[in-house]
Amino acid sequence: MLKSPRHLFTKHRPRLPIALLALTAFCTLCFGQSGIGSGGPVLLTEANSTRAVALESLTLQRDPFPVISPSLLSSDRRTRIAVFAMNVDLYTGEAANAFTAEAEASGPRIFPLKVESVSRVPGFEGLTQITIRLDELMADAGDVLLRISLRGMTSNRVRIAVGHQGGGPPDDQGAIPTPAPEIPPAPRPLVTPNPYTGPATLADTVRFLEQATWGPTNAEVARVRALGFRAYLDEQLVAPVSSYPTMTLMPTDSNQGCQGASVHDCLRDNYSMYPLQTRFYKNAFYKPDQLRQRVAFALHQILTVSGRDMNQASWMVSYLQTLDRNAFGNFRTLLFETTLNPAMGSFLGTAANNKQRPNENFAREFLQLFSVGQDLLNADGTPQLDVAGNRVPTYDQATISNFARVFTGWYFAPPPAGAQGVINFIDPMMVIEANHDTGAKMLLNGTAVPPGQNTLQDLNAAIDNAFNHPNTGPFISQRLIRQLVTSNPSPAYVERVAAVFANNCAGYYPDSSCTSARGDLGAVVRAILLDPEARGDFKTDPDYGRLREPVLFISNICRAFNARGIGPGINNIVESDGYLNPQTVRMGQDVFRPTTVFGYFPSEYNVPGAGLKGPEFGILSSSTSLTRAGFGAQMSFRSIPMFADADTPNGTFINLTPLQSLADDPVQLVGALDALLMHGTMSPTMRDAITQAILVVPTSDPNHLRNRTQSAVYLVLTSPQYQVQR
Amino acid sequence: MRQGACALAGSAALAASVERLSLVRVLARSTFDAANTSDYKALVCVFLDGGNDGANTIIPYDDYNAPGGYASVRALPGLAIPKSDLLPVTPPSGHGLKFGLHPSLVELQSLFNNQKLAVLCNTGTLVQPLTRALFQSGVGHPYQLFSHSDQVNQQQTAVATEPGQTGWGGRISDLMTGVNGAAPLPMAISTAGASLFTTGVATRHLVINPEIRLNEVLRVDYGTDFPAGSLAARRIAFERIRNDGGGKLVNAAADTIGQAVRAGEAIPTDPALPPVQAGQTDFPDMKLGNQLKQIAKLISVRANLGVHRQIFFCSLEGFDHHTSQHNAFNGHDVLLLQLSRALKAFYDATINLGVADQVTTFTLSDFGRTFEPSGTGAGVGSDHAWGNHHLILGDAVHGGDFYGNYPTLAVGGPDDADDRGRWIPTTSNDQYAATLALWFGLAPADLPAVFPFIGRFATPNLGFML
Repeated sequence: MLKSPRHLFTKHRPRLPIALLALTAFCTLCFGQSGIGSGGPVLLTEANSTRAVALESLTLQRDPFPVISPSLLSSDRRTRIAVFAMNVDLYTGEAANAFTAEAEASGPRIFPLKVESVSRVPGFEGLTQITIRLDELMADAGDVLLRISLRGMTSNRVRIAVGHQGGGPPDDQGAIPTPAPEIPPAPRPLVTPNPYTGPATLADTVRFLEQATWGPTNAEVARVRALGFRAYLDEQLVAPVSSYPTMTLMPTDSNQGCQGASVHDCLRDNYSMYPLQTRFYKNAFYKPDQLRQRVAFALHQILTVSGRDMNQASWMVSYLQTLDRNAFGNFRTLLFETTLNPAMGSFLGTAANNKQRPNENFAREFLQLFSVGQDLLNADGTPQLDVAGNRVPTYDQATISNFARVFTGWYFAPPPAGAQGVINFIDPMMVIEANHDTGAKMLLNGTAVPPGQNTLQDLNAAIDNAFNHPNTGPFISQRLIRQLVTSNPSPAYVERVAAVFANNCAGYYPDSSCTSARGDLGAVVRAILLDPEARGDFKTDPDYGRLREPVLFISNICRAFNARGIGPGINNIVESDGYLNPQTVRMGQDVFRPTTVFGYFPSEYNVPGAGLKGPEFGILSSSTSLTRAGFGAQMSFRSIPMFADADTPNGTFINLTPLQSLADDPVQLVGALDALLMHGTMSPTMRDAITQAILVVPTSDPNHLRNRTQSAVYLVLTSPQYQVQR
Repeated sequence: MRQGACALAGSAALAASVERLSLVRVLARSTFDAANTSDYKALVCVFLDGGNDGANTIIPYDDYNAPGGYASVRALPGLAIPKSDLLPVTPPSGHGLKFGLHPSLVELQSLFNNQKLAVLCNTGTLVQPLTRALFQSGVGHPYQLFSHSDQVNQQQTAVATEPGQTGWGGRISDLMTGVNGAAPLPMAISTAGASLFTTGVATRHLVINPEIRLNEVLRVDYGTDFPAGSLAARRIAFERIRNDGGGKLVNAAADTIGQAVRAGEAIPTDPALPPVQAGQTDFPDMKLGNQLKQIAKLISVRANLGVHRQIFFCSLEGFDHHTSQHNAFNGHDVLLLQLSRALKAFYDATINLGVADQVTTFTLSDFGRTFEPSGTGAGVGSDHAWGNHHLILGDAVHGGDFYGNYPTLAVGGPDDADDRGRWIPTTSNDQYAATLALWFGLAPADLPAVFPFIGRFATPNLGFML
């Protein structure tokens, strides 16, 4: 339906120079200002204004554009416009879905727009034509500011008129005309992927460690910088697993399990999540298998079991071990093992599920949350739409009923040898064939399960069916990207990672020992972290990043400042006791006790008014935003005190002493915090605000080094800029 | 032919963005007459999270043993409540038929009998009025029916066709926020996290933690004032940094903090509620009781805050009883006990505050549950279904009666969407919500902006409000 750009620019050849070159003033110096040219695309404008060089894609009319196309050649009646960009560097195969576009109308109202095609401008190979579909709700908006983004780098914002010219938001501060240069820019070669085998930059190393670990430390930044990301990932894939030790299964009745003088400790250590939560934080603070822990915690938020319904910590351990064991393994194995895990069996009711009135709990969440997701997806994770523009369900209630019948016949294994009167939450569930529904079943994509199969055969058929469904790669890849890197990945990013999910020899970074296997999570994680949309010293796209969820907020602070506790005796500095969960509970995240199978926060949460996904914002509320600030104050100025005979045997404090030596010079102090905590992205206003605040403490104050350092750290930790990992 | 195809595609594209269109309408309208509103009203949504089993909340009493009915389907697997345990009520609209409330609902039975509580039967998310035949022919299916996340979403957005981004409470707030002038608190407040219900197009909700004293919930810890003056300097820097902005996510975090700071400054002390009188119920120190208590405190300072309309959201979770529905830890019976006591305590508090006829409390829930149980014995439960019964409480409610249509309790019967007793709603959630919105003061002309499908149903006013 769209004419090819070649047609457009060859047949109407004279128009292009009129459209572009006649508007031109040579302007190579312009791009040094106002962020333009700092790595993002540059949209072309008229010579003397920020109005874009933009053409209706069929009629080649300039703006103002109607939102409903005047051309009968547009089958859906939507207007497409072509804009032109410089500085667009593409990888092989990179196309329209690598770009996002957005227009801001007065209000402000934000319209995310779809980039439909991208091509080199024939005869001007250094320019890129970008075709964007307008939104019918823009109607008669007047002037809007349009920008495009590529791999987390945004363009300048240029003005286009919709409906009529005039009005609209003011130009961005410092915005300047960016006309096409008189000498057409040279063609840009396709980008070669960085192998990340050599040393890395400081800023990108900090960013990388924010994504791959529980938080950068100065020592680890220096080490990984020298080592390179690829070698670090290789090291992490084989690092010893810290995980959780198997615990003794206790009697279900805690009155029976805990008697005598130390009932409080006994209940805490066996009948609550305390031992797992403290272990979680200690592993995060101190253990070397950082990436495995991050991925396992991400998987916990995808294949969720909640300890809320668990009587004992011991009941959760084999589930957590399963996540740790399979974090870099195969997703099919993970699906199989979590399905038969007794904690999952208890949580979602597969244990004791019987062919007579099977419950649909596990069946529904297995499909909706653990594997295929509820809407059919394109390879890049965007929803498929039917002719009416509606999403297409992956399954219906009948499919759920059929899967529910598949998941019948399982029960807890007998108690381990020597343990009587306990439920076996250590070994996988076992089959009771008599309880299994052996009728025929219909799975996804019209796959039939023949009648007469046994419980395990049916289970394997269902898991293969979901694992091999085309949705599963993009669905799981997108969830993992959101957990590790950014809440709003471009479709192209999801597509690249999903391709690796489908085949571990695909992508830019296959391992030499790859086998074309599907579901290789280690390869998926590597592809996520080395992707060009993840990497780089900084990102300018205002949509980029993810809110630090409470556990990451805390772990990043504690690791950055070498958190420690106080042991018995004198001057006995030991590890933190890891009792940080009360802090995250107040921020809305109760570790291993999410409210439901949907996890700690909704994976599709929309940030109000932003037009963006931001799952972690689901638990950022008026209250919890201030609780975070309170934690910043507590750790900067005070500590979590130890109470030797309570649940806080060592407490937790952070060590600001190394920073204090810089505090005579605010520039150095703020710079050090900026580098370690914000990879050099702190805004000038924020630097100045911190500097002014700490200068209130005069050098004549005998404690000025400490007080200044505390103030500076507090102001960084409580800043909105720090809340978002970018 | 081509023209026809275009028209089809065009209308379909519009149909796929119903919510977005309603957002435009909300932004375009602002007809509420702020100057003429001096009274006070509040809507309080109690969300029963997970999907409350309405079939075990409002139970046939006289028809308890009807063939193919309640006892015949639910007794054998062990899900039926024994008839002798039911709390009977006789709604005038029931033509003499008695119904039974769940035995945990002692306080609610008394409120019903005192005409303070109404029951709305078989209500749910609908795109259009439906029959079993229509539904089974594939017509009018809400988006992702029976899925928790989507049905929670649709209950709160009142848009059953797509994943929405704003709630109907939030959109009412958008249209009516002018009535509160420059009040330091937004109209919509949640005590149950960042709820969709209270999220507007332009207006943002306040989200407060229920377990802490109200004046401490929103306090900023600026650290130690040592040396003197350093705290004040940090406070200035904190504000400068917060107003500095960054990317959109940074700005969203900054807005959240800023609103909390403003609200906190407006509530310097923890309000004291009037003492509980003889015969009244005190707030149970549990999940829902604490939230409703916090809401009562906020209502008590309405005059100081200068607010005339407030919309509250709270929730009680744990209703997703696929298995072990009767368990003593967080089973249905226990949750309803908490619900009954918390609602009664809240109602009593509104009496003591003199606003019982100005505060209307109502329930929502993901969906009802399958009439036919899942599992058996101690493990018995129920699965996700659709239409459900709801409760509306307050002196402005035409209480003591049932509204809507109680479904025909027959598996595979005329009200069943399939063959497990998933009742096709005979009343739309939009009608339920619109009735409340009209009482609250939303202009009738603004109904379509908040409830884009309201015109498809017989009436926007179900008559349960005075």
